[in-house]
Amino acid sequence: MTANSDASAGDSAAEGQAAGRREVFQYAVRRFGVYLFTLWAAITVAFFVFRLVPGDPMNILLGNLTRAEGRQRDAAAEEAIIAHYREIFGMDDPLPLQYINYLRKAILGGLDLGPSFVEYPAQTKDLVFRRMPWTIGIFTTSVLLAWIVGTGLGALIGWLQRSRLSQLAVVISTLLQITPVYLVALGLIIYVGYIWRILPAGGPYARHLQPEWTWEFISSLLTHAILPMLSNMIVIGAGFTLGMRALMISVLGEDYLTFARAKGLSPFTVLKDYAFRNALIPQVTALAIIVGATLNGTFIIEILFQLPGLGTLFVQAMGLRDFNTMQAVVLFSIFAVLTLTLIVDLALPLLDPRIRRTA
Amino acid sequence: MPALLEIRGLSAGLQGRRSITQVVSSVDLDVQRGEILGVVGESGCGKSTLATAIMRLLVPPQVLQSGSMTLRLKDGNTYELLELPETDLRQLRWRHLSYIPQGSMNSLNPVLRIERQMTDTLIQHGLSREEALKRSIAALEMVNLEPRLLDSYPHELSGGMRQRVIIAAAVSMRPALIVADELTTALDVVTQRQLLQELAGIRDELGATILIITHDMGVVAQIADRVAVMYAGKIAELGTVNDIFESPLHPYSQGLIGAIPRAGGHRVEGLPGEAPSPWNYPAGCRFHTRCPHVIDRCRAQTPALLPQGDGRWAACHLYEPEVLSNA
Repeated sequence: MTANSDASAGDSAAEGQAAGRREVFQYAVRRFGVYLFTLWAAITVAFFVFRLVPGDPMNILLGNLTRAEGRQRDAAAEEAIIAHYREIFGMDDPLPLQYINYLRKAILGGLDLGPSFVEYPAQTKDLVFRRMPWTIGIFTTSVLLAWIVGTGLGALIGWLQRSRLSQLAVVISTLLQITPVYLVALGLIIYVGYIWRILPAGGPYARHLQPEWTWEFISSLLTHAILPMLSNMIVIGAGFTLGMRALMISVLGEDYLTFARAKGLSPFTVLKDYAFRNALIPQVTALAIIVGATLNGTFIIEILFQLPGLGTLFVQAMGLRDFNTMQAVVLFSIFAVLTLTLIVDLALPLLDPRIRRTA
Repeated sequence: MPALLEIRGLSAGLQGRRSITQVVSSVDLDVQRGEILGVVGESGCGKSTLATAIMRLLVPPQVLQSGSMTLRLKDGNTYELLELPETDLRQLRWRHLSYIPQGSMNSLNPVLRIERQMTDTLIQHGLSREEALKRSIAALEMVNLEPRLLDSYPHELSGGMRQRVIIAAAVSMRPALIVADELTTALDVVTQRQLLQELAGIRDELGATILIITHDMGVVAQIADRVAVMYAGKIAELGTVNDIFESPLHPYSQGLIGAIPRAGGHRVEGLPGEAPSPWNYPAGCRFHTRCPHVIDRCRAQTPALLPQGDGRWAACHLYEPEVLSNA
């Protein structure tokens, strides 16, 4: 709604609100369409790329079998084994047909993503579901915590931009932000885990325990999760802090901030309703962008901390050229990232009244 | 009757790495109760810095250097604006002293509805929610806006409407003094005229005093009672609108008036040269580099703002008794 004259503005206010709700709905529908399309594109790219990786999973599998059995088989037996596996994995069909079969099973067969090589005959779907909670748990929790802490801290040091403490915080955040996540993780493992022995720094939980609903197991799980999450949080959180600080400083120069001070509002109201509320909008967008970029950092962290998540699964699958498992990992990571991005995107119009119309 | 606002020796500048560059140099100005005083000058002459200094809204690198400002309210309370701590200042703002900022287009918070932005201040100044809403509606009506507008967000309003909302917000507490900085810049002439009329109406209705800062001589001619002409951080001349427009004393005012296009086919005379920037204000009279009547003492001595009779003031050596008697 753009009001052309003073008189028409009031009349169209109610209409405007109804139109506003309709537009919010359309925005949500459109966003969901983009979400489905991206998911499909990701599956397709993953399908073809992983099949083009050099190295035949059959040869690697046979090599492993030979080493395990400690003797050579005759050629005919090997041929039979290969033929058997190729049939199970549908590798004799032409590539386009394989692709269509893959999509058909995935969509109509209740997420049937085929068997895995890594733990044959286990289904990749089951493998991924078993590993996913580790990745999602560490990834989502650490990114969200990093965002909350970073946004709060950044808002504060942006608000107090001229104080010594603020300037020190900027230097520290910059240093942390440019440090690669594996260095932070290694530093924590070496110092906190092995030299000072404050927290466990390897494995998902203490070796002698079994997964069960006991306090002992849960506390072990949580203490083992601290360092991996901290590694991720330090690096991502420092980035969020710097971003929010810059946003606050630019908002502080806006005319509406001068006006808010001129109105005699308390500094807390000016900070909360005028500065923070406005700086928050691009910061939420930043969360959506960062979410995708930081998932690979979580994979590295899983490997360093020996956690049975999707990252370690992916590395195993890569070694065997297990395209089914690699595809499934990619599919589920993208699903997780897109879902978080979608939630963030749908939250934006709630924060910014201007998006409700222009999106 | 003492002035509502008495400004004495007010200097403000920009803090550089080593030194302060003075932008406003020892300004003396009395704002009389109930008047509309226009402060005119070219861009960069320090008029906005003066307005911001009065509101005590200077932000680094802007710094206040010296001076005093006394606000004398009708209820007998007197405030030394430059000595008030921030908390007292907050109480004073909006209740007694309000501000219509330069760049009003962007002075509303884009994420809050107009209602919230008008009432949050009133509520913090101790009004109940209902009372705050009533006052806001009354204020909107003063500037011919519909109360329904309270439900809108700023981006749903036109520029003129946003400017009116700002004015309404500024008058909602019935303040004694309103400082309006470049109120009408960026608005078309029709809207300008309506706004100025509304502002004059508010002055009559509320008995408020308005200090209007502008580079537009037309605005001053329409609305102001008295005019202060500013040049290079100092007040060059002060007088009633009629005096300044009919018979300007200071050569700079004469140049400004000569540069206004008029009906009747008079030739418009430009003002040669450029206004100096605060980094190189000339010594002596700051206007001497452009002045057609320059004499020796202009280059050496800074003229003081002196009374010239009939409530007129000018800062020019040409009107000093010893120069006049020599001529």
